[in-house]
Amino acid sequence: MEVMGQQPLVSVVDDDESVRESLPDLLRQCGFAAQTFSSAEAFLASEALDETRCLILDIAMPGMSGPDLQQELIRRRHQIPIVFITAHSDESVRPELLARGAAECLFKPFSEAALIDALNTALRMR
Amino acid sequence: MSKGIANQARVGRQRARVGSKRRRVDKELEERVAQRASELATANEALRESERNWRLVLDNIPGMVAVLAADGTAQFVNRRIIEYTGMTRVEEYKEWGTNGTLHPEDLAHVAEAFTKSLASGSPYQIVHRVRRSDGVYRWFQSSGVQCRDASGQTVQWCSVLTDFDERKRAEDALRERERESRLIVNSIPGLVATLTPAGEVELVNDQVLQYCGGTLREMRQWATNGTVHPEDLAHAVDVIGQSMMSGDTYEIIERLRRFDGIYRWFQVRGLPFRDSGGRIVRWYVLLTDIDDLKRAEEALRESERESRLIVDSIPGLVVALAHDGEVEFVNGQGLEFFGLPLEELKHWGTNGAIHPEDLPQLMEDFTQAIASGQPFEWEVRGRRFDGVYRWFQSRGYPLRDPSGRIVRWYNLLTDIHDRKRAEEELRRAYDSFADAQRLSKTGSFITDLVADEHRWSDETLRIFEFDSATKVTSQRIRDMVHPDDLRSFDSVMARAMTGSDVTFGFRIVTAQGAVKNIRGVAHVIDQIEGRPMFVGALQDVTERMEAEEALNKARSELAHVARVTTVSALTASIAHEINQPLSGIITNAGTCLRMLAADPPDVDGARETAKRTIRDGNRASDVITRLRALFSKKEFALESLDLNDATREVIALSLSDLQRQRVVLQSEFADDLPNVTGDRVQLQQVILNLVRNASDAMMDVDDRPRQLLVRTERENGDRVRVTVRDSGIGVDRQSMNKLFDAFYTTKSGGMGIGLSVSRSIVERHHGRLWAEPNDGPGATFSFSIPLEPIPRSHGR
Repeated sequence: MEVMGQQPLVSVVDDDESVRESLPDLLRQCGFAAQTFSSAEAFLASEALDETRCLILDIAMPGMSGPDLQQELIRRRHQIPIVFITAHSDESVRPELLARGAAECLFKPFSEAALIDALNTALRMR
Repeated sequence: MSKGIANQARVGRQRARVGSKRRRVDKELEERVAQRASELATANEALRESERNWRLVLDNIPGMVAVLAADGTAQFVNRRIIEYTGMTRVEEYKEWGTNGTLHPEDLAHVAEAFTKSLASGSPYQIVHRVRRSDGVYRWFQSSGVQCRDASGQTVQWCSVLTDFDERKRAEDALRERERESRLIVNSIPGLVATLTPAGEVELVNDQVLQYCGGTLREMRQWATNGTVHPEDLAHAVDVIGQSMMSGDTYEIIERLRRFDGIYRWFQVRGLPFRDSGGRIVRWYVLLTDIDDLKRAEEALRESERESRLIVDSIPGLVVALAHDGEVEFVNGQGLEFFGLPLEELKHWGTNGAIHPEDLPQLMEDFTQAIASGQPFEWEVRGRRFDGVYRWFQSRGYPLRDPSGRIVRWYNLLTDIHDRKRAEEELRRAYDSFADAQRLSKTGSFITDLVADEHRWSDETLRIFEFDSATKVTSQRIRDMVHPDDLRSFDSVMARAMTGSDVTFGFRIVTAQGAVKNIRGVAHVIDQIEGRPMFVGALQDVTERMEAEEALNKARSELAHVARVTTVSALTASIAHEINQPLSGIITNAGTCLRMLAADPPDVDGARETAKRTIRDGNRASDVITRLRALFSKKEFALESLDLNDATREVIALSLSDLQRQRVVLQSEFADDLPNVTGDRVQLQQVILNLVRNASDAMMDVDDRPRQLLVRTERENGDRVRVTVRDSGIGVDRQSMNKLFDAFYTTKSGGMGIGLSVSRSIVERHHGRLWAEPNDGPGATFSFSIPLEPIPRSHGR
């Protein structure tokens, strides 16, 4: 889903369909290119892996979880900035994820502003 | 008198005869004298001289001498006779037949003998009495001999009178004695025999003959004819032979044959009788029948032997005491038990043989018994040889002599230790039985309903608040039954009257106004004359029922706690469930605004995102509704429900949590599952609890799929089953039952309340909840409930 060269690609990995439906529309409204994947495995297998400028990643998913994918990317030396999103309001996971290099960790439901701030942070990390 | 007259007559006749004879003799003599007067004239003087001389001699003989004429007429009596009779003139003696010189009783035989002798000329010897000068008759022996002249003619009789009195009397006495002796000998209740000095049988008394049934001659053959028992014969012969030689008294114990052939034991004693010269003239033998004695002795010996045997083999201690209480004898068992010699046992009062606690009372009782002579009985502890005290029953009886004096005390000590212990145990058992009845508020009873006889234990009486004097009747019981329960009570009684076992439950109102819930059973144990005998137990379950109510309440509270616990445990899941749609709503709403704000506005896009917003809003609303239903605190509410639906809802709530745990869920819902009646929310809690447990059990499983199977199905009969099967760490069989105990947990973070509460919920639905290990990894938890729960019974 390469759109207009200069628009950075944001990939969304979440098993929840409503997220996959709603989030890309918002990202596009904000000027990003967006691509969605229902699992970590699907993302790793896709071509988007190399093009993604920022990853919006759900923490809890069947199969490979968000943090698992983070570890895997580190292992593969893919330095893609990650914004974790989770419906589990467990604050304790956040510091750990940030320590491992995540740009942000957002708890659902998050505001549009919070999302854009996180994305900016992520893109600056590159 | 008449005899006297007859004698006189006889004497008279005799005198007449004697007179005529004498006259003839006189005449002859006168003739001869005349013839030879001259011849003799010269010799007369010499003769007179000679006559004077022999008269002198005769007078001086120290004896009584008389000279009779040939015809017996007294011619001369010497001085001794004159001195004796006091009759001085010789003429007086011629009248002896009539003048009382001789004893009248003797006259006849004297006359007879005298006459005979005169006639024959042979000497005579007559014993008769002669009167002394003082009138006393004394016995004399009168001996007379003829004096013949040269021609052989009897000229005179010379008679000597010897005083025979002493001897005669002695002889008479002897004869009398002999007669008496024979009488005595024959009357002796014993057998008497005499032997010759040579040892031959001389005489035997009547008893001997009677005993042996033989004759004297046969008796003399005793050594050969079996009179003496063959076994005893040699000894008897030997002893008698020796005695005959030594002259010593002998004694033999031998058997003698009775007339009927039976031998009896005799003591035979022989005593020698010696004459004045010390020579043995005879043996007197006394035979004493000692058979009975001997048998008695043997019996006594046997009985003594037996007594001793008995005393020593009695399973008890036998002590014989003197009349004053001193120990005289202790049987073998006694000595063995105490391990003390008899001498030591005499000091039982001080040497510790009796338990110190029992001693003072024993001393007092014993002293009193000895003093009063009354039999005694008490229980006392005696010290065994090894120092162990054992309980004895001690019974004492006095032995009295014929005069009633106590000669001895016999004391039997019986070991009752085990009995005593058993008694104590029985008492303890009874006490604890009574305690148990009291503690458990369970009373027992034995009832004969037909006879209206009721035997109640103390606790039964206590429950009914009857005192022990109360006469229990069926009516009295019925009077106490709560009016609302009378119908049930009556029907139970009617059923019992038919002889069936019954269970019952009713309330009573006691005299104090207390209402008690009674429950019990009664079993027919026996039919006596067609009447059923019941034995049963009943309980005051009032408190238990109150406790049950409290427990139920607590259980509800607990269920609520469990729910709250579940809520907190599910918070993440709940948040997830709600946050997901909320997140969608916010994102969609934001997108929608941006689309509308664009130039030109993307109306189609906005419409689409608005729709999504609504959809996610509904989704959140559904979650909230389900949660509210699940966690709201509601009383037990029965409704008809579809367990498939209920289970699906639980799964929907748990799904995200299960996903997060990477659990692969599989569900198998039966198509034809009928509705059940139950409390939907509570049953859902049970399912939720089982699902969460299954998920938790697989938390640490990494080497195999975390598989969870939830299945509903119809069971045989009218029941529905829900099964939750995991592939987790499993449960071993030993822990299987403990799983359902409150606060048992294998989870470090859990409260362990889930399964016990779940089970109580299922049981309230009259169902059951159980667990079983899988053939492979993991465990399976199931519960089943009836389609139509049995209505709640009274008091439950």
